[in-house]
Amino acid sequence: MILVIGGYAQGKLEYVKSKYGVSDEDIYDFEKLDYPDFFLNENEALFEKQIVLNNINCLIKNSVKDGSNIDDLIEKLIADYPNAIIITDEVGNGIVPVEKNERLLREKTGRIQCLLAENANEVIRVVCGIGQKIK
Amino acid sequence: MMILVYGGSGSGKSAFAEQRITELNDSGVPLYYLATMQVYGNEDRERVRRHRMLRKDKGFITLEQPRDIGLVVDRLGKGDVLLECMSNLVANEMFRTEEAVEGLGEKLDDNANDEHYMDDKLIFYKCLVIKIKNDIAALNKSCDNLVVVSNNVFEDGIKYDKSTMEYIKALGDINRYLAGLSDEVWEVVAGIPIRVK
Repeated sequence: MILVIGGYAQGKLEYVKSKYGVSDEDIYDFEKLDYPDFFLNENEALFEKQIVLNNINCLIKNSVKDGSNIDDLIEKLIADYPNAIIITDEVGNGIVPVEKNERLLREKTGRIQCLLAENANEVIRVVCGIGQKIK
Repeated sequence: MMILVYGGSGSGKSAFAEQRITELNDSGVPLYYLATMQVYGNEDRERVRRHRMLRKDKGFITLEQPRDIGLVVDRLGKGDVLLECMSNLVANEMFRTEEAVEGLGEKLDDNANDEHYMDDKLIFYKCLVIKIKNDIAALNKSCDNLVVVSNNVFEDGIKYDKSTMEYIKALGDINRYLAGLSDEVWEVVAGIPIRVK
């Protein structure tokens, strides 16, 4: 698994597309996807493929909002998609939010990103469209 | 040796900072954990509990000092210190309760409608930045190894109220100073340390 992390609008997806040559139909965007369906309709044909799972931060946000168990989803994702390229927004580099749920979500997103990085073969940080391999 | 460890929320910077100071603590001197967080409510208690779990069995002596780090310098003597973290320390210093500033904060709040109110407050903040830098410099001079944890609060692009913007500026200023003093500077991203100095 490859993890690509960076701030909003830093060109992460473009970087992945040009570097790994993935086609649009292999990109799954959790900003638009109905996420439980993605995991419920287990499409085993995708398991070994090099697909792109974009906006994992949105998956975390939506599942935390719905009260579903994000840790289980992430564990499943790590186990089932060993060849996936996972893209996530860095959200922790700001002032601590006043609103409690926002604060907890931000912390949770950071922790999950640490977990994904730990399980990734490669971690790339993208700043201004430039990828820096940090693992 | 002084090291600055910098990162966002949930980035894993604490775990790395603990690892680094533990590696450096090999000369038999005490290992101190200087905690600057003021604990309010369950969420903070949970955070403290999590951090205590991480530090368990690593031999840290915990000292709580939410502000005025300079005051512990004489008490410490020889030792290695992990100071965590600057974002809390700077907030506690800047937004300290009136009584803690011996009337200065109170005086400022009394004069909230005064045309010089914000000017006075800005001068107060500027003095605090100098004081905090001096405190850390004194701590660095007195201890053997020092690892300081600080936060990246600079990249959410939100324009906050004036006090918060002053806080961000103060922390940015202090971070730059700490980086200048440090032998090593590390940024931690998703649990991965990246050496930037």
